[in-house]
Amino acid sequence: MCTAGVCRLRLSRGFEPMARLQARSESEVIDAVAAARARHSTLEIVGCGTKRGFGRPAEADDELDVSALSGIVSYDPDELVITVKAATTTAEIEDALGRRRQRLGFDPADWGPLFGEPAHTATIGGVLSADVCGPARVRFGGARDHLLGYRAVNGWAESYKAGGHVVKNVTGFDLPKLMCGAMGTLGILTEVTLRLVPCAALNITLVARDIGPDEGLALLRRVWTSAFGATGLAYIPGLLAAAFPELGAVGRGAALIRVEGGRVSLDEKMAGIRALAPRLHLEEADGEEMFRSIGDGRAFIGKNLDVWRLFLPPRAAASCPEEADSQVWLADWAGGLLWVATSADDHASARRIRAAAAANGGYSTVLRAGKVTRRRIPVFQPEPPLLAALSRSVKAAFDPLGLFNPGRMYEGL
Amino acid sequence: MQLSNPDPSVLARRDMIVAALTRLVPDGTISRPAGLAAYDGDALTAYRQAPLVCVLPKTKEQVSAVLRFAAAEGIAIVPRGAGTSLSGGALPRADAILVGLARMNRILEIDFENACVVAEPGVTNLAITRAVEGQGFFYAPDPSSQIACTVGGNVAENSGGIHCLKYGITTHNLLGVELALPGGNCVRLGGKASGARGFDLLGIVAGSEGLLGIVVEATLRILRKPPVTRTLLAAFDSVPDAGSCVGEIIAGGIVPAAMEFMDRRCIAAVEDYCAPGYPQDADAILIIEVDGVADEAADELRCIVDIARKAGATELREARDDAERAKIWAGRKAAFPAMGRLAPDMLCMDGTIPRRALPKVLARMAEMAEEYGLGFCNVFHAGDGNLHPLIIFDVMKEGELERAETFGAEILKLCVEVGGVLTGEHGVGVEKRDLMPVMFSEGDLAQQQRLKCAFDSAGLFNPGKVFPTLSACVEQGHMHVHGGRLPFATIPRF
Repeated sequence: MCTAGVCRLRLSRGFEPMARLQARSESEVIDAVAAARARHSTLEIVGCGTKRGFGRPAEADDELDVSALSGIVSYDPDELVITVKAATTTAEIEDALGRRRQRLGFDPADWGPLFGEPAHTATIGGVLSADVCGPARVRFGGARDHLLGYRAVNGWAESYKAGGHVVKNVTGFDLPKLMCGAMGTLGILTEVTLRLVPCAALNITLVARDIGPDEGLALLRRVWTSAFGATGLAYIPGLLAAAFPELGAVGRGAALIRVEGGRVSLDEKMAGIRALAPRLHLEEADGEEMFRSIGDGRAFIGKNLDVWRLFLPPRAAASCPEEADSQVWLADWAGGLLWVATSADDHASARRIRAAAAANGGYSTVLRAGKVTRRRIPVFQPEPPLLAALSRSVKAAFDPLGLFNPGRMYEGL
Repeated sequence: MQLSNPDPSVLARRDMIVAALTRLVPDGTISRPAGLAAYDGDALTAYRQAPLVCVLPKTKEQVSAVLRFAAAEGIAIVPRGAGTSLSGGALPRADAILVGLARMNRILEIDFENACVVAEPGVTNLAITRAVEGQGFFYAPDPSSQIACTVGGNVAENSGGIHCLKYGITTHNLLGVELALPGGNCVRLGGKASGARGFDLLGIVAGSEGLLGIVVEATLRILRKPPVTRTLLAAFDSVPDAGSCVGEIIAGGIVPAAMEFMDRRCIAAVEDYCAPGYPQDADAILIIEVDGVADEAADELRCIVDIARKAGATELREARDDAERAKIWAGRKAAFPAMGRLAPDMLCMDGTIPRRALPKVLARMAEMAEEYGLGFCNVFHAGDGNLHPLIIFDVMKEGELERAETFGAEILKLCVEVGGVLTGEHGVGVEKRDLMPVMFSEGDLAQQQRLKCAFDSAGLFNPGKVFPTLSACVEQGHMHVHGGRLPFATIPRF
């Protein structure tokens, strides 16, 4: 259960106070949505509020606090499946899983502190809705690949279920995929069922120091396309090394490679990776904290910088920062993800970043910026007109009156 | 299963439709009965229906042109890859244009540095692996029909296969598509980059069974072939022992590359068919494959052998070389044709259950086979609880088809009852359409149908598949009503 208070009155639409509503069960969620329909008022859906700074600023009339929809409904370790109420904190879930040596494969990061909110309070519903995947996504896939089923309330104030509770299911449309990353604009999740991944016996991180971005990212791609199943593949340029005190001096930059397995298989994997880069010296380190730090975006906490995430074909990662004229960046997912930071409200840089991502066949998202910037610059890369029209139709198929998180993803949606 | 009556107003316009399509795709429009007979169904062999006309476009521009024409004329579309669907996903309609994508069969790009292949929809599944295996890569989804089935059909059905226990089904290995929408416009969803980008429409297209659009290009993830593969055959003298072995392996934190189950009847059938040398006195066998680096595979295999012994395995046999491995797999892969020799017709069911329910469900299915008096065997992807009971029957014998379908339906209801689902990898199609209410409430189905309407408000794409009723677009005020008549008024709605 979330304890971080989000009890605040804010002003929206002139002097009309934003009401803070609360729903403690699925039936109360239905009531709240029915009331919103009747009043023609819109809702900002809030779990524990750690990611309210992500997305376009909410334009909702009222706030619906669903943080009380919390608790593990069923956990079946032998099936590698867990069902929880949607506002259960990921910390609580991970705690329960850890005791049975299991984990969430999409490696949810904790973005609370990045947004100036407390750590360990993010809810699973928010994490799925914002697709908050950490470094191990490179191996196990994103939130969408682990959500098996859900219950939700749609814009007709009706509860429904989608997907199932088993790992292999193609019965009907795969709606769970759609809910991941939808920023709560398609409905209010009340319960989610996730597949789990067993924890490996051991993990170790190999570090290549004083390596430039071209060479470092080429190494990461070689490991990524090998059979060693790395669960972390990140590159940290020298300029950002100070944000990772565990790492020590790195010169031009450091490539980090995390592998998992039993003792014997780890030795074999490390030998195999070293054989991919015979001229490089790869040190062994405990990289857990470093990878957590990368996923959580800790390098940017407390700094007055706007933070972007660029999703790229990995081959494009090395040249993209230069094309975007960005100095402050780091790469994860073997180059499939770039974190890029700019001075706050630097809209010229924003344009260059967006153009560079698009030119390389990727796309870009503003993760953290002030409200003014998030209103002026589309947080999610704008879609071509035909796709944007299709997205609007999809939104209307779940929320025809536009009640949920209006404008949070795209203006007018 | 009741097939719908064709719309007479479409049948009346057939000559005009054939002429128009011939203009759009001059060398690929089939309208003569002899030609259409080759396209009168898919691998759900109990149903046959010739299409109104079949068109085989060669380019995405031709696909668009056909869809534009169909939308303007209000004619339904049934997309088809290689016609290997086991659920009737590509079953034609007498009043619909069958759009076959098999001639769009070029691999457009192989990009090893970004670990992906860009292909047209008619490329076969196996051709992707063939194209990249020289460099040590493979495409993971491997449905049994992989020599014939196409990647476009794989996307539509979200196909799985033997190795999806470890490597996931199509949706987990799909990076992007270009989708031709009803009306002929094309949109790109995803690409070579992964991560959330707007609504995950790509995730919806995978497994949409041809109801939302036609895939005209797909970007697929390729993986490095593991250096070592080890294959174990474990025999049990009781089905529940084999079932509990499966549960213990998964619970032990081991994810084998594959874990397949066959029962006594299936073992006997494949022995007669291709003599893979399975132990004939076993009640059940498991084929378990692990892969990875050498020590990792050895480690996992050691654990699995321990678990299997404790679970009561009577024989454990490891393939000593590739030839022995191929022989072990040959029996498994021949299960369908081997069972098919025992009777003229066969139904292959496809429910998924929680693995813990395996012993209970297997026992209950054996009782049900007795009750229905039909031949029956079990062969399935045990690791993910995906059952494939094979029911054999003779459609020429009075009442056998109905009895087989009722038996199959009862099995799937049992799957849902124990917490599972109607289909793990074959899709709903026409086969399980009327069972959808067993798993989903009216409200659950209404939500899915609203999504369908967002893509296809006129209901022209693969009508009569997946959903037992066609009411959602009316509710949404989206249904395309032409000349005061409901579209496809003759489709049974119950």
